[in-house]
Amino acid sequence: MNISKKWLSDYVAVTCDDATLCHKLTMAGIEVEKVESTSKIPAGVIAAKIVSRDVHPNSDHLSVCQVFNGKETIQIVCGAPNCDAGRIVPLAQIGTVFSTPEGEFKIKKSKLRGVESNGMMCSEEELGIGTDNSGLMILDDSIAPGTPFEALYPGDTFMELEVTPNRPDWLSVWGIARDVSCLLGTEAKLPQISITESTDAPRADLVTVEASDLCHRYIGRVIRDVKVGPSPAWLVERLESIGLRSINNIVDVTNFVLMELGQPLHAFDLDKLEEGRVVARRASAGEKIVTLDGKELTLDENCLVIADAKKPMALAGIMGGEFSGVTGETVNVLLESAVFQPSNIRATSRRLGISSDSSYRFERGVDYDMAELASIRAVQLILEVAGGRLDGKALDINTGRPREAVIPCCFENIRNRIGSGVTNARIEEIFRTLHLKVDNVTAEGCVVTAPLFRRDLLREADLVEEIARIDGLDKIPEIAVGGKCCHPLAEDAWLPLQKLRHLAAGLGFYECVHYSIGSVANFLSDSRFEESDLVKLDNPLSPEMSVMRPSLLGGLLGAVERNIARGNRNLALFELDRCFCANDKKFPEERNELAFILTGLRHPERFSAELKETFDFYDLKGAIESLFELLNITNYRFALLENDSRFRAGHACAVVLEGKTAGAFGELNKKFTSNWRTTYPVFAAQIEVAALLQAASRGVAKYKAAPQYPATSRDIAFVAPASLACGDIIDFIRRKKLQDLESVQLFDIFEDDALKAKQQKSLAFSLTFRNSERTLKDNEVNAAVEKLRAALAGELKVELR
Amino acid sequence: MNDIIAEIDRAAAAAESRAASAASGADVEAIRIDYLGRNGLFPALSRRMGEIPAEQRKATGAAFNGGRMKIQAAIDAALERLSAGSAEKDAIDLTLPGRRSAAGRIHPISRMADECAEVFRRMGFVAVDGPEIEDIYHNFDALNTPMDHPSRDPQDTFYFPDGRILRSQTSPVQIRVMETHTPPVRIVAPGRVFRRDTPDATHGMNFHQIEGLYVDKNVSMADLKSVLQRFACEMFGPDVKIRLRPHFFPFTEPSVEYDFSCVVCGGKGCNVCKNSGWIEIAGAGMVDPAVFKAVGYDPEVWSGFAFGLGIERLAMLKHRIPDLRLLYENDIRFLKQF
Repeated sequence: MNISKKWLSDYVAVTCDDATLCHKLTMAGIEVEKVESTSKIPAGVIAAKIVSRDVHPNSDHLSVCQVFNGKETIQIVCGAPNCDAGRIVPLAQIGTVFSTPEGEFKIKKSKLRGVESNGMMCSEEELGIGTDNSGLMILDDSIAPGTPFEALYPGDTFMELEVTPNRPDWLSVWGIARDVSCLLGTEAKLPQISITESTDAPRADLVTVEASDLCHRYIGRVIRDVKVGPSPAWLVERLESIGLRSINNIVDVTNFVLMELGQPLHAFDLDKLEEGRVVARRASAGEKIVTLDGKELTLDENCLVIADAKKPMALAGIMGGEFSGVTGETVNVLLESAVFQPSNIRATSRRLGISSDSSYRFERGVDYDMAELASIRAVQLILEVAGGRLDGKALDINTGRPREAVIPCCFENIRNRIGSGVTNARIEEIFRTLHLKVDNVTAEGCVVTAPLFRRDLLREADLVEEIARIDGLDKIPEIAVGGKCCHPLAEDAWLPLQKLRHLAAGLGFYECVHYSIGSVANFLSDSRFEESDLVKLDNPLSPEMSVMRPSLLGGLLGAVERNIARGNRNLALFELDRCFCANDKKFPEERNELAFILTGLRHPERFSAELKETFDFYDLKGAIESLFELLNITNYRFALLENDSRFRAGHACAVVLEGKTAGAFGELNKKFTSNWRTTYPVFAAQIEVAALLQAASRGVAKYKAAPQYPATSRDIAFVAPASLACGDIIDFIRRKKLQDLESVQLFDIFEDDALKAKQQKSLAFSLTFRNSERTLKDNEVNAAVEKLRAALAGELKVELR
Repeated sequence: MNDIIAEIDRAAAAAESRAASAASGADVEAIRIDYLGRNGLFPALSRRMGEIPAEQRKATGAAFNGGRMKIQAAIDAALERLSAGSAEKDAIDLTLPGRRSAAGRIHPISRMADECAEVFRRMGFVAVDGPEIEDIYHNFDALNTPMDHPSRDPQDTFYFPDGRILRSQTSPVQIRVMETHTPPVRIVAPGRVFRRDTPDATHGMNFHQIEGLYVDKNVSMADLKSVLQRFACEMFGPDVKIRLRPHFFPFTEPSVEYDFSCVVCGGKGCNVCKNSGWIEIAGAGMVDPAVFKAVGYDPEVWSGFAFGLGIERLAMLKHRIPDLRLLYENDIRFLKQF
């Protein structure tokens, strides 16, 4: 909604400066989004009197003038032909800055062909007041030299307002004036709106409303013998002040009244209406109309049209038809002032992709009462600017005046809801200055009747807002914040995720956040899913952004590729977020996944040998083990993962938590990474968050006393077949259940060419024995170790060393 | 004076002289063993204390302690003297890089959500969660959104073929909590929301909000204002002011938008606040009676406030991140900064 201060001042005295007005409007809920002065005259221009004019010694077209600026007489060199002594002219003093399309230019003291000049006398064009550039602008003799030019030609102030959808009454200058009056405490007044009504009855079929569900009121008036032509200057100025173009006097009047009172109007050329009448009806399916802006629209029975006896002449409330409007040849006018059903106008406008100042207001709801006043106002102005005569009384077809909302309210409730001490008297005063009707005032409350332009007021809560808004939200006191606990913290759904994120970051990983919408191809990189498992959008932005991610892998692959392309080859990333699945046999519809990525150098900031270390499978495995340890999860194992094309064969494990598969990790399949500009392998992990949190929830650490008796260690080394897994050896040792064996730890693994040739490796384990009751004797431990050595050699066929 | 005291004095003098001439750490260690070691002189003397007549014990004890301290001091001095000479030989380059342990970071979006949740937890709010695939009822109907409200339009909201949507706000979590809990209710709901916007510097297909809701008897706008003021101070410092402006939302009445005094210039005016001194943060208001009716709360008994915050917006303000898309690119050089 655009508004100008001058126009606003026609209805209410604006007794404050622009900045204050804007602030008050914004703080009352009418946000001023833009404000600009339309005056183009820069500060520093004054009226001045030319005292004398002499010929320039070095030029045949320049004059040297002595000019009185109100304080002193200064010399100015001037090129205008009319810089005659005695004239009052505009003078741009030194320091004045002109903004031109080429940039700013500043008036400086200068020499023109050797003669000093202390300013510039200006033409109309130079000041942006008019188009005359033939010479200096000549001012009235009565103007005193030294008078600032802004005082002579005050500019207007243009404001762009953001009007919330609940306040269609603010979509007019008058509507804004009503609130300004309340904010400034000055009275808002409409101009005299009256016409001499015709006494003749209107033609009964001038207006027919067939679709009364969509057209609640239609007032038609006929004005004959108008003279269509240019609008008077005042009308053009008002329209231009809010950015509207003048078209002709009749159309300008309808636009003026639209902006003044918020009631859209339409002026039909009566002679172009078949049978000289209109019908408000639903369009028939397939019916066509060409609108004013030249677009051909195909309509259906949901569209309300204003038709003549044969065809649609206007898309009701939205836009006139190409041939319906007033043109230079128009003599007789049918003036429409109507109330249409808001949601129907909105639906039609949206469906056809066509909107206007008119539809903007109708879809928010116009004031039933205003339709009549606006019709009179428009007739008054048409007769004034285009002549003509009213032919017959108005034909007003309507479904009856809507009932005004009657709202009982309690002063104490209002105070309680706002939390301020606003008094009964102030509440009542605010209601009244907002043009609300107040009855039955008691010490406890009153009954408010909302006029039809305030259909947003229905309940006490709505009145609370009016009081809060006008009394001032800044008057709401700040009070102590009570930290009332209404729920157990165990209900906090964010805390466990927050904790997991912090653990993952603590393990050295950087968190990523991706859009959760993407492409089928990217998301199916996770081979656990097929296309039918994806949750698809019905109205995607594009095919690349059409499905919900089934896992985090696709997004992370994108991030890794992007980073590597930018030269960031050392990456430790994680993501913890929501994934979606349409197949409930695989996963619930929504679940959280935790994913890790590891690639590149392990210690890029270190030097020598450490610098050369690259991440390998065991870094990722260790990170997962550490995570489990930090979560006190002990019931887990990693199993060889086969036939999973996400990973390189033989280089991936399934994560089994409490007996159920809950994730996987390993080296990514080369098919993902082969095109990337990196030689480092990329490792990835994925874990179901629900399973993780469930396992973690059981792991409350219980105190165990540190052992009191010393441990005894024995090392055991042997050459084993290369295919024998370390885990299997440890399992073997554990199964032997050696007396007092506390732990088994691998401490060396060795493969040289000779061993490799024989497909063997050398392993060394450290066995720790301890008894919680006593110190173990060497011979007990030795006996146990000997038993184990025999078993290893006999059953595992290793060569003991 | 007794024999023991004399012996202590002799021993101390001898030890001091040996320490002064010690040429290596081993020499010094030998002195320690001879005098103070388990089988050295002083433990032996200590065992003889019983022979001393009672009236001499105090003086003998003092001499014993004094002697032992003299010897220890001589040993320390000798070690100091010896190590000073070898300092240069043993020196390490203290400027070599430290061996850092790997340190990851939380993404600025999660970090901001965490920080918000923390601030509100301290005020008694609990952070709850809801589905991102939401039904029309919880996202719109129950929130008093008119049937033809533009936000319901498929232009603005992502729909699924079954008629459900990607939630366009975190407010449906309010409804889900009120449906399952009797008041009082005091929750925040951080999470992802979706709008059908083509990504640009300030828009994305999805972003994150944190929703707040407090329902109790006699909750007022003063409570709302004070909670938001407290939040502003906790998040951006004690000098940040807040300002409420009237606004309109279907699910609150009265509704407000709230601004923080500019966190960059402190309110003096800069390009971040477009010289207004204020930065628009988000919307809030008193829960509309229609919303209470939808969840079966009696609006005559209960009142409450709700507010929303844009996580990305706060993170961008806090860290001066100029473009929303940076948050979703996940460039490691970006992630390492926060």
